Amino acid sequence: MIATTATKGIALSLVLVCCSFAGDITGKVSFEGAPPKAQRLRMDADKVCKAAHKEQVMGEEVSVNSNGTLKNVMVYVKEGLGAKKFEPPAKKLIFDQKGCIYTPHVLGIQTGQEVEVLNSDPTLHNVHSLSKGNPSFNVAQPKQGMKLTKKFDKPEIFKVKCEVHTWMGAYMGVFSHPFFSVTGDDGSFSLKKLPPGEYTVEAWHEKYGTQTAKVNVGAADTQSISFTFKGK
Amino acid sequence: MSDDSIRDKAGPQHQHTETVGAHVAVHEEAVHHELPFWRHYIFSTDHKIIGIQYGITALLFLLFGFSLMMLMRWQLAYPSEIFPWKWLADLLGPERMPEGIMLPEFYNQLGAMHGTIMVFMGVVPLAVGAFGNYVVPLQIGAPDMAFPKLNMASYWAFFVGGVIMLVSFFVPGGAANSGWTSYAPLSVIATTGQTLWLIGMVFLITSSLLGSVNFIVTIIQLRAHGLTFMRLPFFVWAQFVTAFLLLLAFPPLEAAGVMQLMDRLAGTSFFLPSGLIVSGVPVENSGGGSPLLWQHLFWFLAHPEVYVLILPAMGIVAEVIANNTRKPLWGYKSMVYALIFLGFMSFVVWAHHMFLTGMGTTISAFFQTTTMIISIPSIVILTALFLSLWGGSIRFSVPMLFALAFLPMFGIGGLTGLPLGLAPPDIHLHDTYYVIGHFHYVVAPGTLLALFAGIYYWFPKATGRTMNETLGKLHFWGSFIFLNGVFMPMFVQGLAGVSRRLYDGGIQYAHAQEVLYLNEVMSVSAWLLGVAQIPFIINFFLSMKKGKKVSDNHWEATTLEWSATTSPPLAHGNFAKVPEVHRGPYEYSLPGHRKGFVPQNERVEA
Repeated sequence: MIATTATKGIALSLVLVCCSFAGDITGKVSFEGAPPKAQRLRMDADKVCKAAHKEQVMGEEVSVNSNGTLKNVMVYVKEGLGAKKFEPPAKKLIFDQKGCIYTPHVLGIQTGQEVEVLNSDPTLHNVHSLSKGNPSFNVAQPKQGMKLTKKFDKPEIFKVKCEVHTWMGAYMGVFSHPFFSVTGDDGSFSLKKLPPGEYTVEAWHEKYGTQTAKVNVGAADTQSISFTFKGK
Repeated sequence: MSDDSIRDKAGPQHQHTETVGAHVAVHEEAVHHELPFWRHYIFSTDHKIIGIQYGITALLFLLFGFSLMMLMRWQLAYPSEIFPWKWLADLLGPERMPEGIMLPEFYNQLGAMHGTIMVFMGVVPLAVGAFGNYVVPLQIGAPDMAFPKLNMASYWAFFVGGVIMLVSFFVPGGAANSGWTSYAPLSVIATTGQTLWLIGMVFLITSSLLGSVNFIVTIIQLRAHGLTFMRLPFFVWAQFVTAFLLLLAFPPLEAAGVMQLMDRLAGTSFFLPSGLIVSGVPVENSGGGSPLLWQHLFWFLAHPEVYVLILPAMGIVAEVIANNTRKPLWGYKSMVYALIFLGFMSFVVWAHHMFLTGMGTTISAFFQTTTMIISIPSIVILTALFLSLWGGSIRFSVPMLFALAFLPMFGIGGLTGLPLGLAPPDIHLHDTYYVIGHFHYVVAPGTLLALFAGIYYWFPKATGRTMNETLGKLHFWGSFIFLNGVFMPMFVQGLAGVSRRLYDGGIQYAHAQEVLYLNEVMSVSAWLLGVAQIPFIINFFLSMKKGKKVSDNHWEATTLEWSATTSPPLAHGNFAKVPEVHRGPYEYSLPGHRKGFVPQNERVEA
């Protein structure tokens, strides 16, 4: 008990120290070239899934935004933090299965942080993690509203899929620190309140792989970097 | 005097049976008082105690396996609805039944373990371990089994195997969940429970092997003087053939079990093919193995295993029918020859479980032919049992009711198997509820009813008291009606094409809609079947202490276990005087005899 309180105290001071002299990294992920044709997801196999959508549903493997940026790219600090420890945030993340699609498609998680896997569909989904560092799990949620809380201890990026609905796939990225971000509809990302130092930042995309950039962050500094993925 | 010397002298080749009998009695006195409790009742080498140990353990496993099925039936009747007994859902925990909703992973565990427990830990140990151990030495006039210590090892190997199977429910991922057949490659990549399943199976198979060697040697070597093979009670014949099946069919599965263990733990690929992709990810293994090899090895065991389940049941029914019709069995010799032929044939029919694996038409034709042939000896035995009833002065005792019910139930089980034994109808029926209905008619309304007949029949022998008849009849009628309520609708569902492996009972399938209501009928029947076992459980324990005391030969039977020893038999050595046999096993209602039956050991006709 005493040890736990002391650890928390040290971690809190670390966070306080870091954040009072912290900087940010922001930027965008651009896309060049012709994006591959989005694949239509055919949900005829399950009438519940089919009924959940009035319009055609397209796959999210490569989602290029209207401003020419790329969605669902996970950007994170790969190197430079040394052996610093970071307390997991109390905020629980929601990983939803709604309309037989995973929301979000790419989810960043800090080690030790709780993720609530939710089934919002009135049909059975199984959540199968293809993780290697963390124990792989494959759990079914037969009923609407069922929840499952998971925590991960080892940093890695892995796929999550549903074998019942073969089109369902998503990615989870687990990091030992809070400096990660996933690009959204504007293609931007921001890694906030980094302690001053030199970092290697990596951008990961499920189809196009990874890119890295070196960044020097000073106290109360905001550095801007950008990544560009090219279509084939 | 050592056990061995007693056995030597009690063998059929020795003449001085009375002297030996005296030795046995002296020996019994000496040993009976020397043995401490744990040697007498726990680590016993006495075939009767071991038989009772097998019987109690197997009955408990049967109850447990049945309970797993009753849980499954909730999910099938009311898919994903909240389980009404909150305390049980809470006990099972969120990994199995979160908020009272059964997870598919748990359902799969229940299915795999129900089959495993009922077959390997329930029916076989009860039919062979319990009845075989208790009755065979008494029926052949032997003081014990040929290898008493091996007998004890057999029980404890079975016990350890059973405990390992139970423990497997508590490991991460739960118990084995790849079906009782454990088909590769699914089973090879399954959760940890499968490893324990394989280790448990190795123990259970070892137990069967030790037991089978013991039965074979005992029946060949320790028959009383004058008890020739054609004078053996049919039950002994059934156990004899069964022991050969166990001896010859189980080793391939033991080898296969070890090979699958290696695939799971040591990185081998006996059953993993090259290029195996699981959930879109290539499996890291050397490959080159054959999933079909597992199926061949499994069914090479599991088809003879069907006869391991059914032959002792036929043996029990034959004893009960002869005794309660007060007539010799009709066509005893034909039945024995049919039994032997059936034993041989059971080794060449296994691939009729695999018609849909893509085997060639030539091989398919071979196995269809052998399957049709094997039905002949079964029909010979069943017909002989039916004909034995003809003209008999039938006593409708509780064991007889169970034995009589066995005949049509096994008949339904056998006849519904014929379409499955032919490849064209099997294309439609394979993996449907029809298959479940078929084999359950063989082993549940079939074998289980016969086993109950055996319990009611030999209970007075083991305890000196009879079981209550009213409770017995209540048990019989409840079981008979509800067993049919569970299994008959399965044929209807199966013919409609409902798959046997659906976690939700088929609600998602258009072709299942019209027969979905049967899920509820079957489930309610299953739960009522559970209720119908309560009179039996009460009767079983109550009768041990309060049952009506009976004479040594309560059923006025002709076989040695009734006519040549007390009820219960002497603790060690069984017989005060080693019996000598003068006639066949079923000399009932001989013309001109006042008593109406002549025991096998009676020298002068009454």
